[in-house]
Amino acid sequence: MHDASAHNQVAHHAPPTSFIRKHVFSLDHKVIGKQYYGLALVAVLVGMALSWLMRIHLGWTNFAIPGLHLLSKNGAPGNVMTPEFYLQLMTMHATIMVFFVLTTAPFAAFGNYFLPIQVGAEDMPFPHFNMMSFWVTFVAFLVLVSSFFVGQGPTLGGWTQYAPLSALGEVTGPGQGSGVVLWAISIAMFCVGQLLGSLNFITTTLDMRTRGMSLWRLPLSSWSWFITSCMGLTAFAVLMPACILLILDHVAGTSFFAPGGSVINDQVQPHSGGSTLLWQHLFWFFGHPEVYIAIVPGMGIVSHVLVTNMRKPMLSHRVLVYSFGALAVLSYMVYGHHMFVSGMNPVSSLAFSFPTLIITIPSTVIVLIWLGSLYGAKLRINAASLFSLGFISMFIAGGVSGFFLAQPSTDIMLHATYFVVGHFHMVMGVAAMFGIFAGTYFWFPKMFGRMMNETLGRIHFWFSFVGAYAIFMPFHYLGMAGNVRRYQAFTPDYMQPLVPLHQFITIAALVTGVAQLVFLYNLFHSRFWGKPASDNPWQATSLEWSTPTTPPPHNNFGDKLPEVYHDPYQYGVESSLGDYVMQASPEQVKTVHDEA
Amino acid sequence: MTTETQKSGGMKKDLVVYLCLLALAAIQFVIAYQSIDASQMLVRMLIVAIVEAALALLFFMHLAENRGLLWFVVVFTVSVLLTMQYGWTDAFRLSAGAPWAK
Amino acid sequence: MSQAGMTAGGHAGLMERPMFSVPAKKMAMWLFIIADTTTFAACLVAYGFIRNANPNWPRPFHSITNLALMTFILLTSSLTMLMGVRAAKAGDKSGALRWTLATAALGIMFALLHLREWMTLIHEGMRLFKNPWGTGQFGAAFYSITGLHLTHVTGGVIALVAVGLRYKAGRYNADDLEILGLYWHFVDLVWMFVVPLVYLLNLAH
Repeated sequence: MHDASAHNQVAHHAPPTSFIRKHVFSLDHKVIGKQYYGLALVAVLVGMALSWLMRIHLGWTNFAIPGLHLLSKNGAPGNVMTPEFYLQLMTMHATIMVFFVLTTAPFAAFGNYFLPIQVGAEDMPFPHFNMMSFWVTFVAFLVLVSSFFVGQGPTLGGWTQYAPLSALGEVTGPGQGSGVVLWAISIAMFCVGQLLGSLNFITTTLDMRTRGMSLWRLPLSSWSWFITSCMGLTAFAVLMPACILLILDHVAGTSFFAPGGSVINDQVQPHSGGSTLLWQHLFWFFGHPEVYIAIVPGMGIVSHVLVTNMRKPMLSHRVLVYSFGALAVLSYMVYGHHMFVSGMNPVSSLAFSFPTLIITIPSTVIVLIWLGSLYGAKLRINAASLFSLGFISMFIAGGVSGFFLAQPSTDIMLHATYFVVGHFHMVMGVAAMFGIFAGTYFWFPKMFGRMMNETLGRIHFWFSFVGAYAIFMPFHYLGMAGNVRRYQAFTPDYMQPLVPLHQFITIAALVTGVAQLVFLYNLFHSRFWGKPASDNPWQATSLEWSTPTTPPPHNNFGDKLPEVYHDPYQYGVESSLGDYVMQASPEQVKTVHDEA
Repeated sequence: MTTETQKSGGMKKDLVVYLCLLALAAIQFVIAYQSIDASQMLVRMLIVAIVEAALALLFFMHLAENRGLLWFVVVFTVSVLLTMQYGWTDAFRLSAGAPWAK
Repeated sequence: MSQAGMTAGGHAGLMERPMFSVPAKKMAMWLFIIADTTTFAACLVAYGFIRNANPNWPRPFHSITNLALMTFILLTSSLTMLMGVRAAKAGDKSGALRWTLATAALGIMFALLHLREWMTLIHEGMRLFKNPWGTGQFGAAFYSITGLHLTHVTGGVIALVAVGLRYKAGRYNADDLEILGLYWHFVDLVWMFVVPLVYLLNLAH
């Protein structure tokens, strides 16, 4: 038998000395994690600014937004956006948020920083892949944003890029030529980046665990990153060829997604034989796992934060892990529920509806375990735990509307309305954002060696929490009242009474957005002038709190890898430290809460 | 067992598997010339291809020697591939729909 | 995951035993193979989808000689790859390099035959978007799937030469060669599905 450690020492590299290797093309997973976080921060600000522009326009259609014409050559005559420009903004908002925020921050950023530390490794096994993963993603973001300044601007097809709109070229609207091509190139590159990342995450989890760190001793956050990377490995591998086929439709004259006989502006398009539904099948085969790629890391982070602040283990560690796994498996079997109104075969609708209702079971199990564990716990209230509670609240509130959308009969009525917009913004958008915030408040001391301001954190939470409900709850009413998605103005008579509600939402969105400046201020101020943090400010147990210095040294654990003696969450016990035992502490303690 | 006998024994096995693969590939070509309809032909060819793939995975890629990895790879891949098969009903329906076909 | 991960401690290493006793590099190759299988499957599903949706699907292939030769060459290259890995495991460095280069040569032969076939088809008027026989989708599907495979072969040949030479120079070891072998066999494995689906089902009768 080979010596396991000899096999795995592929990650050794000396601390870098040059500026470039240290901060730019760094091979250190911690630096790469922070780079991903920075990218997500920039992306989320861009995405949020775009949503403000849209919201202002939806509330006050003729309001001239100063300087809007700078963003688009023809899209904003007199600083009032055209319908096409509205759609372009919407597409960019969605693409940036889904890919470059919800995927990069909770998964790539925190995962990169903390997965190797939580499993007790010096680094990921393939640091060069890791570095490539970030820089490919970074360039993908630049390519996407650059489409604002190329040709007729970015694509207006929505982040789902449904064919035939996306496949026929500039004739279907501004940005549908070069905009779509840049979009597809950007997303294909993004896929490559995340594939490289997933490869690293899985091998880290399977092969780089320190002595004593069996799989069941992994913290829940590590489990969630591992399961997410298993999804990423196969989901992005399908989106990439789909994007390449879409590019071929544009630049090589093929017709994979363009059907024959399309007449646009009285001209028959030179395509034949393609299938629009094929794009939807390929896209949603990626798209639904992607939803879980965005939310499962959030679940893991929230579990990790909650369990630390509850000072007792979850009701069942294993059932939580199995539920994460079940979500991952089922996420591949439900993708067609996005296509109920696309004219699928009725048999397929049924085959997709059933697993969609089934997938609520693991989701419900997860929520029940959280709530059951919280029951009777003396929860420590801080910004991180508040955002975790906010996550649960958003996940429940947004998830319940999913029941209506899982059934074709109700979905057909609600699908093209704001009901769906409200649903996914709460369950995937805001919930995942709250997961990111929880992770930030929780791990910031470890990442930067300073504490974040607690008061500002709580102010940030309450504004965000109330604000998010004020924005997205009314979306459900709008949807049920028949307010169609993707309209830039509500001129039909029956929608006129809804405009005041839109104005309320716009005000709420602006206020909530401004509240995020509190977070930004807190982040940057604490980074440089925050109270210095101790090695383990939350009295937590997992390995990231056992590093010899804070922030951790280049190789995470100094001269000697830690050895793990305990399950991840030994809280509510009596030990020399207080009510917890660190995973890396050899101290033998009688556990009060024994794990299943 | 010495490395030398291991080497020759293993080589013999490789050769047998190689010949089997050649034979199976030949069978695919034979199936192509049978006068059966395309769906029948597809089924037969896919069965042969899956047997070929299994041989290659087990012996050329040595999964037969590592049961754990075999299960990991096969269960992971096959379950993902199976969920890709949802779309076919739509594909067949389109062959009858006029505007799509041209 | 599996029971294997639950056995904690009990060995001399500083780390847990790798899952399935597969070290990280080899695991990464297997994960790449899983992802790449999904990519190829997506392309083949797209091809099948479009084929079903187009009644005027052409069946332009008349001769299977070239295809049979290509298949034979690729299968044989898998065998030479195995020989190379076996030689490397036995410590026979120059033998391993010879077999690896032979594999690369077979890969080049395959690619050249493939290109010759492409040139013939292009000469007959088959393009990505039109062909003289039926729906233009045929060329799109054919060139993109075989092109993807040919890209893999080309990448594999470059890797074979590079890793083979560096193995001889001592920078890579037998395990690295074996991991590259996994990739090469995978390229072969994909071809076993491309042949019946893309070629044989489109044989003229």
